[in-house]
Amino acid sequence: MSQHAPKEISEITFGLMDPEEYREMSATKVITADTYDDDGFPIDMGLMDPRLGVIDPGLECKTCGQHSGSCNGHFGHIELAAPVIHVGFSKLIRRLLRGTCRECSRLLLQDDEKQEFHERLKRARDLDEGLNDVTKAAVRQARKKDRCPHCGEPQFDVQHEKPTTYYEVQQVLSSEYPDRIASAMEPDEEDGQRISPTELAEETGIDAGRVQEILSGDFRPRQDDREAIESALDVDLTEEDMNKLMPSDIRDWFEAIPDQDLDVLGINPDRSRPEWMILTVLPVPPVTARPSITLDNGQRSEDDLTHKLVDIIRINQRFMENREAGAPQLIIEDLWELLQYHVTTFMDNEISGTPPARHRSGRPLKTLSQRLKGKEGRFRGSLSGKRVNFSARTVISPDPTLSLNEVGVPDRIASEMTQTMNVNERNLEDARRYVSNGPEEHPGANYVRRSDGRRLKVTEKNCEELAEKVESGWEVSRHLTDGDIVIFNRQPSLHRMSIMAHEVVVMPYKTFRLNTTVCPPYNADFDGDEMNMHALQNEEARAEARVLMRVQEQMLSPKEGRNIIGAIQDHITGTYLLTNKNPRFNETQALDLLRTTRIDELPESDGTEDGKAYWTGRTIFSELLPDDLNLEFTSNAGDNVVIEDGQLLEGTVDADAVGAFGGEIVDSIAKLYSKTRGRIFINEVSSLAVRTIMHFGFSISIDDESIPPEAQAQVDEAIEEANERVEELIDIYQQGELEPLPGRSVDETVEMKIMQALGQARDSAGEIAEEHFGDENPAVIMADSGARGSMLNLTQMTGCVGQQSVRGERINRGYEDRTLSHFAEGDLSADARGFVEHSYREGLDPKEFFFHAMGGREGLVDTAVRTSKSGYLQRRLINALTELEAQYDGTVRDTSDTIVQFEFGEDGTSPTKVSSDVTEPAVDVDQIADKVLDSEFDDTTEKQRFLGETREPTNLSEHADDWWLAQTDD
Amino acid sequence: MVDVTNHELVPDHTVLDDEELEEVLQEYNIDKPDLPKIQRTDSALPKEAEVGDVIKITRDSRTTETAVVYRLVVK
Repeated sequence: MSQHAPKEISEITFGLMDPEEYREMSATKVITADTYDDDGFPIDMGLMDPRLGVIDPGLECKTCGQHSGSCNGHFGHIELAAPVIHVGFSKLIRRLLRGTCRECSRLLLQDDEKQEFHERLKRARDLDEGLNDVTKAAVRQARKKDRCPHCGEPQFDVQHEKPTTYYEVQQVLSSEYPDRIASAMEPDEEDGQRISPTELAEETGIDAGRVQEILSGDFRPRQDDREAIESALDVDLTEEDMNKLMPSDIRDWFEAIPDQDLDVLGINPDRSRPEWMILTVLPVPPVTARPSITLDNGQRSEDDLTHKLVDIIRINQRFMENREAGAPQLIIEDLWELLQYHVTTFMDNEISGTPPARHRSGRPLKTLSQRLKGKEGRFRGSLSGKRVNFSARTVISPDPTLSLNEVGVPDRIASEMTQTMNVNERNLEDARRYVSNGPEEHPGANYVRRSDGRRLKVTEKNCEELAEKVESGWEVSRHLTDGDIVIFNRQPSLHRMSIMAHEVVVMPYKTFRLNTTVCPPYNADFDGDEMNMHALQNEEARAEARVLMRVQEQMLSPKEGRNIIGAIQDHITGTYLLTNKNPRFNETQALDLLRTTRIDELPESDGTEDGKAYWTGRTIFSELLPDDLNLEFTSNAGDNVVIEDGQLLEGTVDADAVGAFGGEIVDSIAKLYSKTRGRIFINEVSSLAVRTIMHFGFSISIDDESIPPEAQAQVDEAIEEANERVEELIDIYQQGELEPLPGRSVDETVEMKIMQALGQARDSAGEIAEEHFGDENPAVIMADSGARGSMLNLTQMTGCVGQQSVRGERINRGYEDRTLSHFAEGDLSADARGFVEHSYREGLDPKEFFFHAMGGREGLVDTAVRTSKSGYLQRRLINALTELEAQYDGTVRDTSDTIVQFEFGEDGTSPTKVSSDVTEPAVDVDQIADKVLDSEFDDTTEKQRFLGETREPTNLSEHADDWWLAQTDD
Repeated sequence: MVDVTNHELVPDHTVLDDEELEEVLQEYNIDKPDLPKIQRTDSALPKEAEVGDVIKITRDSRTTETAVVYRLVVK
């Protein structure tokens, strides 16, 4: 692209730009508001002057001689007929106007004050603090001065009318001064004495004749005369006069500000003279920054910036003509204001108080600041985040036959995304086959690049022909095929497991397919979730993705220190059914269960029943375990699981054994063996579980939650008892005899006691219900195995839903002192305060339903608020921590190499490599030592000798050799 | 006044002598300003600690028995 060699940036400075610099870098002066002439050629010294760069392909840039694409464009300039204020600096201009003398332009501070602010600035710089506070304080102090400490000139207040007008507020002699003096000389109510002009003349020391002239309005008193009269008569003869400061005045004012005074205001005078904030020259952006578009009808449509520049040049021209023609001051000022407006909106078209410049259609123009600002602006929209090629997005759906490393990619996506194939002798055949298949048929190709660099599109028509021409050195953009590596992502990408690499499996239909065991890391489900896929475009990226990002490499979560991928839901129910009661299977059944695993031979049978061999569930499960695995832990179901030498001897395999989020067996295999072994294990467990659950069959219905009438009677009785207890409590409370609990009021105490009683009622209802469910109840199986749901869910379905709450209290809102109009005021009973005594299966009555909805709504609001709050919190935390890195010396440092932790995590271990059991030490050194010794020495005696556990027989003399030989074996 | 340095929750703060300091800087290949900081006014500091000293803090750790941290005393 560019022929320039890349240059290293050593320093960036920010400052104002000298108008002279604008002229120097300008490729041409722009004087004509028109763009193209009648023949469609750009007009010289017009806005589309060819010296400003080229946008049409084939043309040559008149400044640098390059063609479009390689020429970046060149700035031009407009000589403004009159100086104009730069909106971006309106605040700084105001500050300078207020802080400097209107006459001598010096900063309105004594030398000692200057020195003080100078030092404060220096300190702020040293401490890396904002300089704004100091410079603001300096201006504030300067503004307090009524007179310039250097030249004595009285100072006036400067008012700023947004965006670009400045006024000096002066006190001048009122036009009705004779009337005011006359009325002040009239006798007032207190002393009743009229002051004669002679008396006034005596008092003020003004000549009597002059006083008469003043009174008649023939003579305007000078300032000291005016002040004398004012003090003598106690009258105010002035009025405010707004003296508008023209940009040219301001420019002259700023030009005279001495360099050393600017230092105190935090401005570097070498780089930024304040008068440069008043524009006399306007740079014209190169045409490449404002390209015109040719519409379908051949008409040219200009960029918004060009439109704005046209306006500026037109007014500029008119201004000059009018001034030369000696137009009245009023007209000149109007044009000046108009020019100011156009220059202002050229830079920022969203200034409050200024109507935005509009397109002919009424749409506000997108000018310079609008291009940069906001979410779609240059920074957030084009630099920090951009749209990418080779990406796809569609709905996801499950496919348990895929490996967890794979992703099913729809054929139509696979034939749109391509991988570049560098053709050589070895893959020539393949490349030709891809090209000959064309772009439509699946393993085809979309583009080829010949050795000379020319890119050709493969079409249905030319594919056969092109395939024959393919040879070594060509590049073929072939379709995605099975085994290619792609990156797969689901938003929100909250942790690193939200973006993982998968191997492609091309499939029919329109959805991405994934193995259900990768749902937890992505937090995905199949209720309409969509996910993104990115096809990698170079060998380094593909290699890194395979080694670092593949799903199996991400099996252990660094956040949790344990596996995040594993069996979920029905998989867990399946392994539970297989191992909990340890059922027996005949040969056909056993082989059927293991069909989808790599095991195709059954182990020795566990015994015979009715003359036929049988295998138990635990034996079948053991087939999936590594042969030398030893493990002991407690399962979710509560029994003890023992695995010895890869055989499950006892216990239930459930969520705590194979589940995602810390299944012991998965975690151990991934850490002790390898991630690959872990992946094989999870794949096989999930297929075995699916087979198992299909073998037994698993469903749930309303009847599974019903309890016998006598149990229902017991539940009702328990609830009735609780109701009575509550009534009792209310009675005691109303009689004023309730003893408050320590630190609580009586009201709080009765609430707490009622809550407690009702809580107990729900629990006992649950217990009664539970007693009537056998182990084979599907809801119990799911809760017991940790597959889904809890016993609490079950008691709510069968026993009693229980107390509904809003803000942690029983429901007490609605009407005055009652929740619904159905209740008496002040009714504290259970049903009046949101206790739901029915179960979900029985159904809720209308009042209960309403209370339940209140509680449910609070839950929904809470989650909505929590996600947004915690999301922002996490974002800030991540931004604060991104630059921390664990170094090779074990320390954690930030990018400036300051140490944050002297040892990573204080123990220098990675959570994904050490035991996930918090009760035992992260690294068991003894166990490691034993392992090393075991593999190092085949022979126990040698090992013991190495460890110094057996003492060598002593041999002090050769005469004792017989004895020595007898002691040792050889 | 209660001396907080005697409190069981306040870990050991000791001032490093020049030799130890040199060793620490050598071990991590850093200059003094690269160390984490601690304010002179921190009441856990021993009285003799001065600005520019480096403090060795030995404290209990959640992940290992004791963890050692060095901090530079600043004003």
